[in-house]
Amino acid sequence: MSTFFQLIFSGLETGSIYALAALGIIIIFRTSRTTNFAQGAIGMFNCYVATVTLINLEVPVWVAVLVGMLTAFATGVFVDLVIIRRAQKVSSVAKQIITFGIIMIFTGLAPIIFGTMPLSFPRFILQGSLDLFGASISYNGLLNIAIGLLIMGVLFYFLQHTKWGLAVRVTASNDATARLMGVPTSMVTMGAWAIAAALGTLAAIMHAPNISVGVNMMENVQVNAFIAIVFGGFQSFHGPVIAAYIIGLSRNLLLFYGSSTWGEPILYGLILLFIVFRPNGLIGKKIVKKV
Amino acid sequence: MKKIIFSRYTKYILLGVVLALMPTIQQMGFIRSATITTFGTIIFYAVVAIGLNVLLGYSGLISLGTAGFMGLGAYLSTFLTENLGLPFFVSILLAVIVPTLAGILVGLISLRTQGMVLAIATLAVAEVFRIKFTQWDAFTGGFSGARAEFPTFFGFEFDRDMTFVFLTVLLVLLMIITDNYIHSSVGRAFLTMRVSEAAAQAMGINLLKYKLMAFALATAYAALGGALYAHFIRFSFPDSWNLGLSLQIVAVIVIGGLKTIMGPIVGSIIVFGVPAIILSRLPVIGDVDGLAFIFNGVLIIIVVLFYPNGLVHIATDVKKLFRKKRTEV
Repeated sequence: MSTFFQLIFSGLETGSIYALAALGIIIIFRTSRTTNFAQGAIGMFNCYVATVTLINLEVPVWVAVLVGMLTAFATGVFVDLVIIRRAQKVSSVAKQIITFGIIMIFTGLAPIIFGTMPLSFPRFILQGSLDLFGASISYNGLLNIAIGLLIMGVLFYFLQHTKWGLAVRVTASNDATARLMGVPTSMVTMGAWAIAAALGTLAAIMHAPNISVGVNMMENVQVNAFIAIVFGGFQSFHGPVIAAYIIGLSRNLLLFYGSSTWGEPILYGLILLFIVFRPNGLIGKKIVKKV
Repeated sequence: MKKIIFSRYTKYILLGVVLALMPTIQQMGFIRSATITTFGTIIFYAVVAIGLNVLLGYSGLISLGTAGFMGLGAYLSTFLTENLGLPFFVSILLAVIVPTLAGILVGLISLRTQGMVLAIATLAVAEVFRIKFTQWDAFTGGFSGARAEFPTFFGFEFDRDMTFVFLTVLLVLLMIITDNYIHSSVGRAFLTMRVSEAAAQAMGINLLKYKLMAFALATAYAALGGALYAHFIRFSFPDSWNLGLSLQIVAVIVIGGLKTIMGPIVGSIIVFGVPAIILSRLPVIGDVDGLAFIFNGVLIIIVVLFYPNGLVHIATDVKKLFRKKRTEV
């Protein structure tokens, strides 16, 4: 039983990382109508910024994280202003290719600026663990889960109960009508890119202690975040988040109780089957297409 | 005579002749030896891209599983020739047929979804392939990679230049075949489906049948491209068949031109050729590792932003510009 809880805790931790990444992607998808493949690359780049700040300036970890998230915010604004805003007329597939071009820029820039050596980023809380239900969970793991839940709580409150949240939801449901109603959609889109970049960076920083900070550090997270979005459904903000936690949990359980080599394929297979029977995902409304 | 010269296949054959002459030009010392390898790369990625263009351009379905099926084709062909000692011809045939069957199976499941859901569903399939490629050592050689040889035909062993010519011949044949069925009832069904599924259905087009057909074709081209990769580069690593490669193939099509057959060649030259042939040899850009990569990214963004129909149309546009000027005068 203690193993089970151990798996649940680490699953929640992985789930938080996936959920933050997925939330960033879905915010951009809903406001800009494109799948941002560069989410992982932007996160990786700004995670490098945080790591280098930490190593060279010897500041506390939380300052480095803050610096990383601020540069991420700036990166998001920059990407929107310079590239995405000019791409309103191109098709959604072409927009995806633009985000692919952004990936190439960031993965090319990272080794030039930060060197090719993989760096390591420490945990927020270096040691100590809590015993719960016979399983131990590190304070750092708890903190990661708490940060994930807190940020998502704040974002959902913001989306549902503030004027700007309303603007985001209106833009997401119909961009053209929103503009006619006087919603500053371009500001909303810019904010979406900035927040998404910050979320991706946070996911990267939380993921960094498990692996090393390198160019390909976010590949796995990004693929899982995409699958979480399809699993959760494109039509809501909370569906992908719930799906990300489910993926994080069941991935750990399947890898341990199922098979260490077939765990992930089985999980992806099950999700595919689920999508076949419910093409709109866990929480998805059916879109009626008019001819 | 006029009919032969102005037949719609002329441009493909002309392209083939130019490409096939490259090894000879190289031996005369006009271009570097590495350029031939780069152009070989351009050719097999163009083969994959032509297949994906049938799916994405003509039928309007997005797949991000290309890399997975490419990898399957590459490993199958390597395994069959190296470990089982089958003749090259048989193994490349099997390396196309088996992934195509797998693709049809995947298509049967995933084609019930549309748009981005389909893209991510196929991405999940490719990810399963990639994970298995890294784990299944007996088949793929794991992280140490799988080594293949240049093709052998009835005891006659090809060298690199011969393989290059062989790739060119295959490319031209595929272009002609694709051009043919795109301009037949099948191609018209694809195009109708792309514009409106409801209208296509109303006209009696069996949606699932044609969607499956497009998906199977794309898979077959991807697998063939993968097998050609294995026998031209002669080395395959499990990590090369990732999401990045699938995206690169989509980039090839979008940059070259959707709904065209020459487009994938143009796009392939931009995406795979320009960084290796031009950018890496420029003074400042080529000196710093990664700078060529950045320039390619910028180039892709610029092309998509300012030339969204694809670079393949640039010739006709330039011609139009001149004609307009002449009439104005």
